[in-house]
Amino acid sequence: METSLTPAMFQVLLALGDGEKHGYAILKEVEDQTGGEVRLSTGTLYAIIKRLLIEGAIQECRHRPPVEEDDQRRRYYRITPAGRQVAIQEAERMERLIATAREKHFLKRLRPA
Amino acid sequence: MEAQKQTLSERFYRALLRLFPFDFRGDFGPEMEQAFKEQRVHARREAGNIGLLRLWWETLAGIFTTAPAEHLAMLQQDVRYALRMMRKNAGYTAVAVITLALGIGANTAIVSVINTVLLQPLPYQQGDRLVMLHQRADKAGLANILYSVPEIKDFRQQNSTLSGLVEYHSMQFMLLSKEGATRVRAGVVSDGFFGMFGVKPILGRDFTPADDQPGAPAVLLLSNEYWKHHEHGDPAIVGKTFQMNDRVHTVIGVLPPVPQYPNENDVYMPTSACPFRSRPKMIANRNGRMMSLFGRMKPGVSAEHCKADLSLISARMVAQHPDAYPKELDINTAAVSLRQELTKGAAPMLLMLAAAAGCVLLIACANVANLTLARMAGRERELVLRSALGAGKGRLLRQLFTESLILGLLAACLGVVFASQSLKLLVDFTARLTPRAREIQVDGYMLLFALAAAFLTSIVSGSVSALYSRQDLAAGLKDGNAHSTSGRHRVHARDVLVVCQVAFSFLLLVGAGLMLRSFSKLRNVDPGFVPQRVLAMTIDLNWSKYSGKPELVRRVSNQLLEKTQSQPGVLAAAISSSYPMDPDNTGGGWNQRLTIEGHPQRDGEHPPISSIRSVSPDYFKALGIPLIAGRVFNEADSDKVPDVVVINRTAARHYWRNDDPIGRRVSFDGGEHWIKVIGVVGDVREFGLDKEPGDEAYVAQAQTPALGSIVLRTSQDGMNIANQMRRAILEVDPQTAIPNVQTLEQARNASMASPRVMTDLLGIFAALALAIAAFGIGGILALTVNQRLNEIGIRVALGAKPRDLLAMILRQGMTLVLIGLAIGLASAMGLTRLMKTLLFEVLPTDPLTFAGVSLVLGAAALLACYVPARRALRIDPLRALRSE
Repeated sequence: METSLTPAMFQVLLALGDGEKHGYAILKEVEDQTGGEVRLSTGTLYAIIKRLLIEGAIQECRHRPPVEEDDQRRRYYRITPAGRQVAIQEAERMERLIATAREKHFLKRLRPA
Repeated sequence: MEAQKQTLSERFYRALLRLFPFDFRGDFGPEMEQAFKEQRVHARREAGNIGLLRLWWETLAGIFTTAPAEHLAMLQQDVRYALRMMRKNAGYTAVAVITLALGIGANTAIVSVINTVLLQPLPYQQGDRLVMLHQRADKAGLANILYSVPEIKDFRQQNSTLSGLVEYHSMQFMLLSKEGATRVRAGVVSDGFFGMFGVKPILGRDFTPADDQPGAPAVLLLSNEYWKHHEHGDPAIVGKTFQMNDRVHTVIGVLPPVPQYPNENDVYMPTSACPFRSRPKMIANRNGRMMSLFGRMKPGVSAEHCKADLSLISARMVAQHPDAYPKELDINTAAVSLRQELTKGAAPMLLMLAAAAGCVLLIACANVANLTLARMAGRERELVLRSALGAGKGRLLRQLFTESLILGLLAACLGVVFASQSLKLLVDFTARLTPRAREIQVDGYMLLFALAAAFLTSIVSGSVSALYSRQDLAAGLKDGNAHSTSGRHRVHARDVLVVCQVAFSFLLLVGAGLMLRSFSKLRNVDPGFVPQRVLAMTIDLNWSKYSGKPELVRRVSNQLLEKTQSQPGVLAAAISSSYPMDPDNTGGGWNQRLTIEGHPQRDGEHPPISSIRSVSPDYFKALGIPLIAGRVFNEADSDKVPDVVVINRTAARHYWRNDDPIGRRVSFDGGEHWIKVIGVVGDVREFGLDKEPGDEAYVAQAQTPALGSIVLRTSQDGMNIANQMRRAILEVDPQTAIPNVQTLEQARNASMASPRVMTDLLGIFAALALAIAAFGIGGILALTVNQRLNEIGIRVALGAKPRDLLAMILRQGMTLVLIGLAIGLASAMGLTRLMKTLLFEVLPTDPLTFAGVSLVLGAAALLACYVPARRALRIDPLRALRSE
């Protein structure tokens, strides 16, 4: 990716991690997966979608859900393998960061489950 | 109710979406509306109105932060793309930027001059309320005969519309100090003069009413320039004394560095200190008119009201003192706005230059639009492809505008450099026309104008290309063929642009051609004297030593003549009151009413007025003025014998028609003393080559002494012996100032300077226009040849002769040129009338100029067409056929 991944972009990629979604569904998913902490507005979301589309991290789906659930104005997006790779790299980077934070005692050590 | 509310929210949201770039809206708008609708339903269900409020707040914040960012990102992308394209077409970019920069530069420079000189208020407090009074003698054709002391008193006492009325005149005096004699230009002003203009001394004090009283100690205010250059900015100058006119003058202050109107002066003195103005005889003489009058209109008084008030007073004076206001002169007073008075000489030339510069900019704009269009033909496939790939129309337009805007801004930067470089030339030029030229400088207005010009040119050239590209793209998409017939629209547009360029160039060339013709006529005018190898030196004696002592003047004149005549290299020397085209004497000089013996003044007839010059015998020989009848002065015409006069040919024809004037008599004092005419000499254009010679009378220096200048005919270039002559003159009287030394050739050239600069400037503009237009025509034809390579290849393969091909291409180009010429000719016929006042002995529709310009422009266009046509002939038919 040309530009760095912002936290909001990462959240959108994560939201698409378990399958294709339309815009509103992404908004809901981001809110749910952050426990209501991150609430994207439509403007912010679509600016992110535009960038992710350009970067090739996501793409629009060709096939649509059954007609009775569909709305013509909706478009569905799914994560591309490249996008997944980017998200994985970001997650790994964060993991390393957390590990460092634990070593330096910023966080408690993980107890074995 | 619910439905209506929803539509209202929806409508509002949709309106907000307009903040996003067009493409973004097109791509995501409907989806965003849908998502927002669902968000709203959800928020209401979860948290009611509070939830809705929160949603709106978040949505608004989101839109207001992302929309500008989207615009910026798009701009960045466009700029990057534009720069890449410009680098790829460096030649095109350079030509477009340079032509636009020349256009913008010329306009910026001229507009800043016009802004300062014609539009800005005078740099004085409420400068628009200042008026200048003109005492006109309508029937004698005199615009301002100035005012006398009693007249000033009358106007002061009787007017009801002016809050201040001050007088001014300027004289040259000798300022004597330990360092020697310096001639200074002294402004003589009444008390309140500086106060009325709102000027306060930066050192010391202003004049007071007490300074203006007769007999008051003489005081001086120094101009800022004089203080800086001659007194080295001495901060302790106040109190310093100078000897002038046999009196001690004390400096009381220094003026700030403001432009001085109506003239630049070195020092200022109150009326009581001027030896002429303070004479009791002068104060009492209603005919002693030498002062200019300036007034400030009271608040709320209209110009009309003021005019009426002053002309009423004038009429009253005429009625009370009929002797001082001869009926045949029709003397009256008019108030003129000072601003108008100061700039009237400059307006026509500056507006003409602005029109020319505007033309150049338009031609440059057309050229850039044309180049852009031409280049778009090459990019047609790319554009159609991008359009098909989903780049919206708006996106492509935006791209085009970004490109032309970048071009425009680059050109503006370069244009400002051109403008500031050429401003000095323009200021020098304008300074000949108006004292306001000093105020001109590179200022914010200038930069603002350049920026505005850049935007305007971008919009003009961008819109032209956008207009046609849009039609093309739409059509191109429809049938999916880049070389579709829609190309015709654009070809058409380019043709129109070429025609416009030719027409505008024609206008400019005609303007420049007329000025050139007029200038060459002016240069070839016979001035009536032989200016080559004549040196003229202005002489200023220390007035206080010689005033009222004609005997002394006569003696020093003779000494000067003897001294200069004996110098090596001098063929003839003469003393005169002034010389032709003397820069200090361009206004009309010394005029007197003339009475002709045996010619009683008839009612309604203009009184003969003649310009008079006092000369020593060799004046005519030194200047090469031919003798036509009788004789010129000789040594015998002294103060011991009756006065004699020599007249010019115009006066002889004027007063005596076919009779011989020799031996007839004239009088300068209404018939008290009669003077015999002894000779007739050729006419001399005294005040400028464009001014018809008037009636002239020469009186003998020995009989009417007036020492103003020495003229010398020399065996080599006069300037070579100037220093030698200067020394010779100072040997006669070291208290003499020699403020001006020049050859008559220089004086003659200086008198033509403003038409010359005007001709040069218009010539530069016209050459620029010609070059841009020729380039435009050539470029378009080259492109057409390229586009028709295939067709040309087929024709060549089928055996078309090179001559036919050449004719075909030339015909295509020259048809446009001829249409342009016809339009240019028709509009020039109408427009050149506006130049009438600038032309000398040339008709605004001078057939020679029109024909010449048509030829030059036609030839340049032919050459421009020929180059690409030649290329077409050298085409290898096989390669051409493969080009598709």
